[in-house]
Amino acid sequence: MSFFSVENLTKKFGGLVANNNISMDVEKGEIRGVIGPNGAGKTTFFNLVSGFYRPTSGKVTFKGQTISGMATNKIARLGAVRTFQRPALFSDFTVLENVSIAQHLNTNASLLNAIIGHDNHREADSLERAIEIVDFLGMAEDRDTMANNLSHGLQRQLGVAMALATEPELLMLDEPVAGMNSGEKAVMVNMIQKIRDKWGVTVLLVEHDMRTVMNLCEKITVLDFGEKLAEGSPDDIRSNRAVIEAYLGADDSVT
Amino acid sequence: MSKSSFSTHLLVSSLVVIAFFVMAPNLVSAYRLELLTIFLINVILAQSYRLMATTGDWTLCHYILMGVGAYATGILAKMAGLPFYLVMPMACVVTMIVSLLFAIPLSRTLGFAFFIASFALGEFVRHVWLKFHYPFGGARGINGIPKLEIGQGGEWYFIDFWDSRNFYYFTLVFTILTLVILFRIDRSRLGDTWKSIYTDRELSESIGIDVTKSRIMVFCVSGFFAGLAGSLLAYQIGSIDPHNFGMVEMVYLIIWCVVGGVKTFWGPLIGVLSMSIIFELTRPLAEWRPALFGLILILFLVLLPGGLETLPARIRELLHRTGTQRGTG
Amino acid sequence: MGVDTIIQTIANALVLGSVYAMVAVGLAIAFGVMQMANFSHGELFMAGSYVVFVLYTLLGMPFLLAVILAFPIVAMIGLAFERLIFRPTRGNVLAGFMASAGAGFILQVLVGQQWGVGLMRTIQTPFPGGAEVLGASISYQRLLIFPATVIMVTGLWYFLTRVKAGKALRACAQDPEAAVLQGISLNKMTGLAMLLSGGFAGVGGALMAPIIPVTPYMGHTYAVTAFVIVIVGGMASIEGAVIAAFILGFIHTIVATLYDSVTATMVGVLFMAIVLILKPTGLMGRVKV
Repeated sequence: MSFFSVENLTKKFGGLVANNNISMDVEKGEIRGVIGPNGAGKTTFFNLVSGFYRPTSGKVTFKGQTISGMATNKIARLGAVRTFQRPALFSDFTVLENVSIAQHLNTNASLLNAIIGHDNHREADSLERAIEIVDFLGMAEDRDTMANNLSHGLQRQLGVAMALATEPELLMLDEPVAGMNSGEKAVMVNMIQKIRDKWGVTVLLVEHDMRTVMNLCEKITVLDFGEKLAEGSPDDIRSNRAVIEAYLGADDSVT
Repeated sequence: MSKSSFSTHLLVSSLVVIAFFVMAPNLVSAYRLELLTIFLINVILAQSYRLMATTGDWTLCHYILMGVGAYATGILAKMAGLPFYLVMPMACVVTMIVSLLFAIPLSRTLGFAFFIASFALGEFVRHVWLKFHYPFGGARGINGIPKLEIGQGGEWYFIDFWDSRNFYYFTLVFTILTLVILFRIDRSRLGDTWKSIYTDRELSESIGIDVTKSRIMVFCVSGFFAGLAGSLLAYQIGSIDPHNFGMVEMVYLIIWCVVGGVKTFWGPLIGVLSMSIIFELTRPLAEWRPALFGLILILFLVLLPGGLETLPARIRELLHRTGTQRGTG
Repeated sequence: MGVDTIIQTIANALVLGSVYAMVAVGLAIAFGVMQMANFSHGELFMAGSYVVFVLYTLLGMPFLLAVILAFPIVAMIGLAFERLIFRPTRGNVLAGFMASAGAGFILQVLVGQQWGVGLMRTIQTPFPGGAEVLGASISYQRLLIFPATVIMVTGLWYFLTRVKAGKALRACAQDPEAAVLQGISLNKMTGLAMLLSGGFAGVGGALMAPIIPVTPYMGHTYAVTAFVIVIVGGMASIEGAVIAAFILGFIHTIVATLYDSVTATMVGVLFMAIVLILKPTGLMGRVKV
């Protein structure tokens, strides 16, 4: 049994087949990229594995448990956490508070504790790990910045930091470098690698940016027209005829 | 301002306010004292309503929940003849159960649909009171709810609640207790979790917050305190009927929260205080008064949607803007 | 239950359904275009009744002329709502809804101060007597409401499908952004929607004035029902609102005949809550206007 596996996943919207019979296995500690030209079904695929959509048929399992069709918050509790393509953050809170809220799974935030004052995260203890995460991801200077005052790149980084704060085993990243300049992209790539290397977190990312995926991922799955087209190392993918044709057909280029 | 000096300020000003309320019975007339008692009950109500708004769920049934607490108090105190120390907790729990029954179906809806559906459920309950003469008394409600009793005449712990000052102090204790508890919740991790739902529901789900469960929980906690407010109201005014818990009252509650704002803990307090003062000052306006409050509601929603709590920031922003204009011009 | 009771119930239900339709269609127009949820729609209905009170009872104009004039007069109040409340709060349905509650307070007070609070205004019906159908009797005044509704709703349908401004309104309801790109003015459309909304409420109130007690607070019940109908009917759908109005009219009349009107209202609001909870988009979904 693989750490994370997708079996014959199919999603239909009325007559439209958005994802057709996709299967893949991700091993623990891997950084896996899912790519494809525009309209290949990447977004649908991400929504299926993260619990936002219920598959028409097939299933997704994580650590042996079926998670497809499960509520997103339950999947997160099992240790598979997603991020968003848009800058998703709690804009009224500082960077540190954002990370701190995301830690709530590992705290006893009960009503009674709230009333007798035993869960005040503004106290030193529980802040330690939040600080550790923020600093580790190179955002130490921005600890007390209000989240909505961050640059786009930093907002996306904060998104990953928050996901990390839930202490996941699997991070599912939805186009982590979308809308970033090359400098920001490099920081994000570096950050994802650091997360895997230090905490052993498995990473599954869906991404449009080919260069980023080639640099970052050990193994790549290519989707086209809602089906799995190819799978392999970056070198395999780069030289795969079907993939080249799919991208040429979509008027894009493999770089 | 540093964190500790802010806490000191907070402590000092709280003590000043509490001192005023403790001294109040010696400073004002009996009539004014009753108004102050109602004011304290309204503070509980507004603050519990604000709790609901922290997850972004504005309801139109909060007055009905208060009514549930009041009716439960009326029935338990008058018909079952129970003492207050049983009646009040039971009234709060009954309100919490009704809140739960409201919240489970309501949590399937969001935003405006939630708002309107809460109104429908509330109207349903109000019509239950109107329809069933036993035990709710129909349109005439429940009259002659017995006064609070603590001890008998002659016993050392006897408190005479025919003296309105004593009920005032009784209410004051519960108001302070409510404020302390709700303040602690507001500052807790749980409170932040609830606020995060308002800011970004999807993101909250993604980091493992059970949004549905949280919204139901907030509804129930909020209902508990609405029930407390209702219970105190029933003891204070002695007779209740469905008209006490109508849409007009609900709109006034919304006015307090819109005028003060709900983002910070202090917003509803500012709102209920300023509106209560205006309400008293405009007594000579008599029947014109609802129009004034209607106007206030419109003006705030249009000109200062965040309420008075955002006024300093708005002024600063305006000053800044005129400042830079002058600089460039 | 005899045949006469059944016929009476059906006739009453048709009349009630017509009134509901008139009020709810107005609300659906405002709701459909740009999401203007008017809390004080019932006060517009009340204003319609007072137009009849003033023009017909006090000034002695012909009844039907007063009813017809109720349309433009109340439509102007609707337009004022749009300018002063809904336009500044656009994008926030809840804020507009709450602010319009404030406007409702103001209308109630203005009317109450001018013509008295709490005093019911009895308005003599211009059409005394009634029709006898198989043992059931309906007054001519009530009978008038059904054809009036048919005419109004047909007129609205014609306007929305055949007249340019009406078509623009529908386009706006379906896709505001695309409509704006095609050069349709959003402000004009929201104004038009509130004109129509007010006009329908006004005529509904005008027609009902001789039948129900006229007070500054009479609108509330109708507003509640109108919201029930519009939500059950699918928020922005005019057809949905008309169908739901007659369904609610029948339910209310039957329950009120068998039990009492309080129970009938309870069934109505419970029905709305259930629809909202099971299918927040209403029975007809978000059918386009």
